[in-house]
Amino acid sequence: METAEDIKAAKEIIHAILRTKKNLRMYPENNPIYARTIGDTYTRFRSFFNYRDELNLKINQNDILYDSEQIYYNPGKDDNLAFFFFKDGLREITFKNGLSETEIEEFLKILSLDFDREFVDDDIVTLLWERDFQNIRYVVDEAFLAEDEDYETEAVREIKEKAPDADELLKAYDDAFKADEVKGVSIVPLTDDHLHSLARELERDVYDKTDKLVEILFEMLYQAESAGDYEDALNFLEGAIEFSIRHGNMETASSIMKRATGLINDPSLPDNVKRQMRLLFSFPSSGEMIKLLGELLDSVEIDEKVFDEYVRFLDKNAIPPFITILGELKSINARKNVINALTFLGGKDIRALASGLQDSRWYVVRNIIYILRKIGDKKAEEYLLKAVRHSDVRVRKEVIKTLGELGNRGVLQTLKDCLEDPESQVRISAARALSNIAPEVAKRIILEKVSGKNFMDRDLDEKKEFYEILSQWKDGDVVDFLMRTLKKKSFFRGAVNDENRACAAYCLGLMGNKDALPVLYELRDSKNELLREYAYTAIKRIEYGR
Amino acid sequence: MADKEEKEVIKSAKDIVNQLAVIIKTAHFHDPGNVAVVTAIDRFVALANSLIASEGTLVLELIGEFFYVNGTRIKYSLEYLLNFDFLGREFKKRELGSIIFRNAIKPADIQAFLKAFIASAFSQNPFETLTENLADVDCLIIGKPKKLKEEGEFDVRRMVKKTYFNAASYTKGIMNRIKSGEKVSIKKAKRVVESMVDLILEEEELLLGMTAIKGHDEYTYYHSVNVSILSVALGQRLGLSRKSLTELGLVALFHDMGKIEIPDEILNKPTNFTEDEWRLIRRHPFWGVRAILRLKGLDATAIRSAIVAFEHHMHYDFSGYPKVRRPSELDFYSKIVSLADQYDAMTSSRVYSRIPMSPDKALSIMMERTGTQLDPLLFTFFINMVGVFPIGTLVILDTKELGLVYKSNSLFPDRPRVLVIIDSKGSRVEGYVVDLTEKDAGGKYLRTILKTMDPNKYKINLAEYLL
Repeated sequence: METAEDIKAAKEIIHAILRTKKNLRMYPENNPIYARTIGDTYTRFRSFFNYRDELNLKINQNDILYDSEQIYYNPGKDDNLAFFFFKDGLREITFKNGLSETEIEEFLKILSLDFDREFVDDDIVTLLWERDFQNIRYVVDEAFLAEDEDYETEAVREIKEKAPDADELLKAYDDAFKADEVKGVSIVPLTDDHLHSLARELERDVYDKTDKLVEILFEMLYQAESAGDYEDALNFLEGAIEFSIRHGNMETASSIMKRATGLINDPSLPDNVKRQMRLLFSFPSSGEMIKLLGELLDSVEIDEKVFDEYVRFLDKNAIPPFITILGELKSINARKNVINALTFLGGKDIRALASGLQDSRWYVVRNIIYILRKIGDKKAEEYLLKAVRHSDVRVRKEVIKTLGELGNRGVLQTLKDCLEDPESQVRISAARALSNIAPEVAKRIILEKVSGKNFMDRDLDEKKEFYEILSQWKDGDVVDFLMRTLKKKSFFRGAVNDENRACAAYCLGLMGNKDALPVLYELRDSKNELLREYAYTAIKRIEYGR
Repeated sequence: MADKEEKEVIKSAKDIVNQLAVIIKTAHFHDPGNVAVVTAIDRFVALANSLIASEGTLVLELIGEFFYVNGTRIKYSLEYLLNFDFLGREFKKRELGSIIFRNAIKPADIQAFLKAFIASAFSQNPFETLTENLADVDCLIIGKPKKLKEEGEFDVRRMVKKTYFNAASYTKGIMNRIKSGEKVSIKKAKRVVESMVDLILEEEELLLGMTAIKGHDEYTYYHSVNVSILSVALGQRLGLSRKSLTELGLVALFHDMGKIEIPDEILNKPTNFTEDEWRLIRRHPFWGVRAILRLKGLDATAIRSAIVAFEHHMHYDFSGYPKVRRPSELDFYSKIVSLADQYDAMTSSRVYSRIPMSPDKALSIMMERTGTQLDPLLFTFFINMVGVFPIGTLVILDTKELGLVYKSNSLFPDRPRVLVIIDSKGSRVEGYVVDLTEKDAGGKYLRTILKTMDPNKYKINLAEYLL
């Protein structure tokens, strides 16, 4: 008979288990509460074992007993620890002194699993069995494993009914003396060679079996005898693709698609099967599969070549789900891979890709613009123009850059309008884009801009960028303008004027214009520090080509 | 004990058992003073003393087929398989069940033990001789084997029977439900197989004995269970882990799942199959894949089960069915299941020309099939497992007693335990068990197998005595 203290300690352990079961579900492993809860439960066990050798718990449907004392009771089905054990046949659990923290952690992890979910394939007894704990023993009632309670009795009765009668036995006895002498099979004793061969065989056996299954599934396809057979084989191949992606095996998924591609071109394959097979090709592009792919990309590093090969088998239906996951992925490499995928797939359907420009996340829109630029299809302009007024400056900048690289003159007016954008970065991008598309027109527009009164008030950086753009035109118009600016003196707003002069010096330096040297020499002694510095740098550039 | 420490102790326990085998093996060829023996002893002493220092004592026991160190079973692993096997045999020869090392040991103690151990092999009463010769070695105590059935053989048998029939009942249930298109869970299947694995590890002979009971009405279900048991037993000999054994057991249990598509009137047909019927039979590997993959979608076990369901009739040299375009080496489990499948099918009625064979006849045919239908390496392990005279073989002894092989003997494969059903006077008896290793006072065996017979011819099997 246990003491009241023993019972109290056992109850505390049950409470600690219940608390841990809950906390382990609520908190991730790296959360301090997770580790603390396990530690607390372990401490309860340790203090119990300070004076006792084991904790034996009897499990009933609604209660748990310790030495015939009820230490837990719950008549309901929800969160009922007793029923949780009972329903899988557990009738007794014994924790032995010597229980390690690792053991208790493993045990608690099993308890915290969500057994109602589809993918937990094992019941609690199987999981305990697999762990093979040294210090946790249990007793199981296996009666429920039999489908039919009377099966054993019935089977034994039937077998015994067939027992030979005495005559048959005696006939066997008589015949025995006429039988041939014993020719037993000789046993080859096991040797080291056998063991080495077995070890090699076991080593060879450690391979991913999916490829072998795929081989079988294709064989089923080749040897199918009915539409149902084809449908089954194709469904299983879809399952194999999903399984491969789920387990990070993109090579197998690609090889399935590759073989299917070969098969669909086989003239001997009936048309209805080819129609069914096309469904196989659309499967990897489904939203569910792309989501799965995203999870994979975010969890492990995928070889770019392997990923690219897989993407070759996707169709344009994969574009929208790829756009969705692009905004959700956490790793840079994953996003890079998706951008590459969209660059490949987007070429097949610019419109579908451009739908991503409507995404509410600015970074997704910017990525889509980048992808459209990489694809380089002029058809994208019609969609890009709509993004020019995007609320985020980073998007506007990207779209202008893209329009510039696509090089269509039809966007000149839009770009010109962008030179009035409230953001300097956008104005700079617009100027660069203009110069890319139509240099002559751009020269005129930019000269006009930099000559304008408002330009004087822009930041030095913006001014410098505009002058830098001007440096690509080394003709008379530009040089005259620069020289005029360089020499221009102003009584009012002298510092702002000197900024313009400094930028002109910078531009002439970039152009390597030797005619500007005399004026630049003079400016080396300017009272304005910025002008002095820019003139000095320009001289160096022109004189030494630096 | 921290997990890491625990693993180290288990590893060191394994090394100790292995090293004891090494010492004894070496001492069989060399004088105890030889450097090879001395070095081996030194290593053993170092290993043992380290464990004694941390655990206080070292108790090495042989219980059934397994070694235990300080109460913990030392699992078989491939690298130690032969040495463990050897040591087990040497212990059994001497009726030695345990050695207790109470204090730190010295090489001289082990030298003394070794001399006594080797000398006892030639004694009529080896255990007693060993005890006598070790009287002066204080740090060692030896004991006889613990009887496995101490808690009551009846209970163990009842448990074995229950597990076996539960498995058959479950298999029948799952096959019927799949047939009628119902959704099934394989959680129960795992539980069924886990029970079988536990029994294979603890009560292998009894569970194997159940597979020798023939004459069930529901052949398909019993065949699936028998193949599962035989496969797990072989897997155990091959050093597979418990978890792998469960997977193997499941895979084997489902190997014939495709047969649910074959009409019962064909499966249970009393005459030979027509060509059309054979064509259907040959489709069952395809249907097996389909049934398994529909059962629960894809996971590692489903994949392996589907592979085995597809390959179990393909044969080692691909001469079987189905024929495929790109044959690749059979899966390891397929090779195991093929062996178990052929053996059980041949020794049962209704397949393979409908004439069941005696176990020894089946083995000799299987031997002829090694290298063509069956993997020769795995067959070597298989025959070492079932013995020359497998359980259920009908034998006539030189004493004119007729009996059935009841339990094989791994040490002396041609000297199993036999259940006598007709005595030397030709009278039917209730059944008593004789051990063919028993000798008379002159050292001559009391009984020897003279001939084997086909038990099926006379409808004789173990059922009456085991059930």
